[in-house]
Amino acid sequence: MKVIKKELIVAGAGPAGLSAAIEAAKSGVKATVFDENAAPGGQLFKQIHKFFGSKEHKAKIRGFRIGQQLLEEAKKAGVEVVLNAAVIGLYPEKEVLVQQGDEVVHYKGDAVLVATGAAENMVNFRGWTLPGVIGAGAAQTMMNLHHIKPGNRVFMLGTGNVGLVVAFQLMQAGCEVVALADAAPRVGGYGVHAAKVARTGVPFYLSHTIKEVEGRDCVTGVTIAQVDPQFHFIPGTEKHFDVDTVCVAVGLSPMAQLLKMDGVEMDTSSGGFVPKCDESGATSIPGIYAAGDVAGIEEASSAMIEGRMSGAAIAEYLGYLDHEARAARERELDASLESLRQGMFAPKNRGKKIEKTEEGIAVSENLLTHGYVADDEISRFPGFRKQVGIHPVIECTQNIPCNPCQDACRKGCISIGDQITSLPISVEGSECINCGMCVASCSGQAIFLVEEDTEPGYGEVTIPYEFLPLPQKDDRGFGLSRSGVPICEAEITNVRSSAAFDGTRLVTMKVPMEFIDRARFYKKA
Amino acid sequence: MLDIEEKLKEIGPYVPEEDDDLLVCRCEEVTKGEIRKALHEGITTIEELRRLLRCGMGLCQGQTCGTLTRRLVAKELRIRPADVTLATARTPMRPLDMGIAGNDRGAGEDLAKGGLR
Amino acid sequence: MKRTADVVIIGGGIVGCASAYYLKKKGVRDIIVLEGSDSIGHGGSSRNGGGVRQSGRDPRELGLAMTAVQKFWPTLSEELGRDVEYTQKGNLRLGKTGAHMKKLQALAERCAAGGLKVDMITGDQVREISPWLSEDVMGASFCPTDGHANPLVATLAYFLKDVELGVHFFTGAKVKALEKVTGKVRRVILEDGTVFEGGDIILAAGYDSRRIMNTIGLDVPMTPLLDCALVTEMEPEMFPQMLGTAAADFYGHQTKHGSFVFGSESGLEEFMEINDPNDMSLQHPATLGASCRAIEGWIPALAKAKIVRSWSGILDMTKDGVCVLGRPEEAEGLILACGFNGHGFGTAPAVGYVMAQTVIGEKPVTNIEPLRYERFYEI
Repeated sequence: MKVIKKELIVAGAGPAGLSAAIEAAKSGVKATVFDENAAPGGQLFKQIHKFFGSKEHKAKIRGFRIGQQLLEEAKKAGVEVVLNAAVIGLYPEKEVLVQQGDEVVHYKGDAVLVATGAAENMVNFRGWTLPGVIGAGAAQTMMNLHHIKPGNRVFMLGTGNVGLVVAFQLMQAGCEVVALADAAPRVGGYGVHAAKVARTGVPFYLSHTIKEVEGRDCVTGVTIAQVDPQFHFIPGTEKHFDVDTVCVAVGLSPMAQLLKMDGVEMDTSSGGFVPKCDESGATSIPGIYAAGDVAGIEEASSAMIEGRMSGAAIAEYLGYLDHEARAARERELDASLESLRQGMFAPKNRGKKIEKTEEGIAVSENLLTHGYVADDEISRFPGFRKQVGIHPVIECTQNIPCNPCQDACRKGCISIGDQITSLPISVEGSECINCGMCVASCSGQAIFLVEEDTEPGYGEVTIPYEFLPLPQKDDRGFGLSRSGVPICEAEITNVRSSAAFDGTRLVTMKVPMEFIDRARFYKKA
Repeated sequence: MLDIEEKLKEIGPYVPEEDDDLLVCRCEEVTKGEIRKALHEGITTIEELRRLLRCGMGLCQGQTCGTLTRRLVAKELRIRPADVTLATARTPMRPLDMGIAGNDRGAGEDLAKGGLR
Repeated sequence: MKRTADVVIIGGGIVGCASAYYLKKKGVRDIIVLEGSDSIGHGGSSRNGGGVRQSGRDPRELGLAMTAVQKFWPTLSEELGRDVEYTQKGNLRLGKTGAHMKKLQALAERCAAGGLKVDMITGDQVREISPWLSEDVMGASFCPTDGHANPLVATLAYFLKDVELGVHFFTGAKVKALEKVTGKVRRVILEDGTVFEGGDIILAAGYDSRRIMNTIGLDVPMTPLLDCALVTEMEPEMFPQMLGTAAADFYGHQTKHGSFVFGSESGLEEFMEINDPNDMSLQHPATLGASCRAIEGWIPALAKAKIVRSWSGILDMTKDGVCVLGRPEEAEGLILACGFNGHGFGTAPAVGYVMAQTVIGEKPVTNIEPLRYERFYEI
């Protein structure tokens, strides 16, 4: 039997695996990355939305573009990426079996990094095996990789970031999302993700879950019902929706099988879901590392930093990087990772009920229970400001690690400060020039430009817009409230696009003055 | 150490539930009721469930139903899900044709003799 | 918590579970079974090919095998209230060369001497029984009364019946040592310090039995051996027979469910270091490929069958290839049932029954004298 020797073998060409290979290769390690898919990038190429974070985390860049950058970087660094190559086993002495075409090839690495990601969780309600019940990630794959519409009328279970982001993308793909539900009493994902879905008119049902999916050969409808705090259905609260697709976004489970089969010690406090490893991903077996979701579910942004940390650690393990250089790099990466792990959604805050923001402002209860900030709640946040003349209104009300808006405005109208999780402030007395960069740069689509009294009794609101067909100038329709209800007449006065906006269009609508603080979306008549 | 007899006393007898006919493992078509019943007869681990009922033993090797089963086991046995050990992982990570598995002696070698391909 | 019993059985595998069952049936009231792992049947009981085979057996244990097939297996599903998938459609031991056929002939003659009918059949007759076998197959020995069953379910079926009958089971009960009280083996000390006491103690803990008996000065010459197998997804019904070869390069069968279970190896496995006989995660990178090539030579039709899983277990290989049963003279109170050499599943019901007979002092249903512990003193 032929065994091919490699220096570093990486299983999985997703954000973590590629980042690790790049980082190690930069120190001189010869890295080989295997991926079972026909294209590299893992989940990144499914992410058509703009990422959160700061500049160093590639904030406001769409996920697939980050994937392209990563591939480019890998190529430059001399990383070998082998596609259509499924790692099927990890054995003692770091022997890796890879299925390539109609043969199995044996490789041996001096170091092995497992970055195999995660798989979607399922829940089993009546009808869960009917065609048409799919994972949210699967829906994303269909839409964004294969350009296939998963269905026409979709119900989404789960209000974590995956559920929210995919619900929005389903609408972008032309599907009608009829509702979102979550058994939890509060929206699990970022409020801004929820708000951009809610303002299109999609209702949120918290403390609700699926009772039954109906259909004989495929999905024809779904019935949900409210649950009590013990997650038991409350009789009489059933609601029915006619749908052809039910998307399930109820979390992810690490795919740590390769590590397990090699005898890597697993974390028993999690019941053996993830390996025991240090921050660089070093497992209980010297030379075997884990990075990304396989080592604990987080976002792609953190997976990339974790991958870099593993890459640096591997470079040291293989003698390409001395300890001090590695430690210095690790400090740098650690700071970057730590900044992502701040705020209300930090891993340490999981499951906690947060009442107030870091600024001491009561959080929007309505955002958590209905997916949008109520009209009477918005004015207490520092992004909201009344001013003569055009100015940004930033409806970002939760402490999340994200700050591109601050850099987007060259006029100093938006301030976040050094603490990346601070709520953006719409700065009093600053002079907005209506460039629109803040609106386009906000990954949460939470920034609006508001100008009061553009003509007697009317004002203008500029909104971010990422749907087709685009409204046209002079179109007439309705201004929608934050909850997506038509509240006033609206007339489109401007539609802007620019390379700098990266696909986001800026739509300006004229609305009656009394709705200037409430109209946040547009619907054609 | 687990005293099976004590555990069975603690969790009481199997009481049918309205949704016992729900599938948990779709690869091997094992229902919630079958799993619940086994747990009330003395089964206490996912490994044993797999051996008795085949749940999680199909094409996906429990990738989909592993967490569902774990939740069910935890609920019936009145323990935390984290205390329910998941099944072991084995080669191959993905279903693999025997013909391909047997073709592992290195590219370019003469595999003509009775080759499965 | 219950700590004392008439009989304490160490090992919650099929031998332990079957022994408990037949003890109950014989009227022994109080039985404790201690399983070291968290799961019943975690060792060889769940890691074997499911053969219920008499052919090819050493004459010393042929009686056990025939007793199992004649008296226990046919009614076991009914008795335990669970389908243990017993299928008695024969065992085909295949040969491709003249040397193979000679070997099979010798084995068949040995069986005949022990009273077991085994036929020698031609290649064409083999393919008549199963058209899926390779044209290269020259002939086979065929034992029509052999068969197979589902070891995973059979073990748990005994266990669940035991629980129903009131046998006390403890899992995660790792035995540290045995202890004598006034000259008689009586106490079982667990690693966590818990002490169990039994009027009789049956030691049926696979290879771990050696370590445990060592604590009171007994030893059986045995070594651990890694055993590997692969499992396919379900296929249409192809083979109801148990399969083996004169070349001993694979064995296996198709389960009632449709999946195939094949045991085979590359030959490198026995050199793997086994640090912990209870660690079942060891796998050799060469096993899967070598196994598939071996099987391909006999059953080319399975090239597209998908492997969904592989597993390994530890065989308890004794010096002379057969198990150790009964009461060692030097350790009153202790009964041994270990060293099954990888073929203990098929005989397990008979072994369990004989264990129960040994406890209550009945004459065993088949002669186990040649399997006694003292035989190693005569080497």
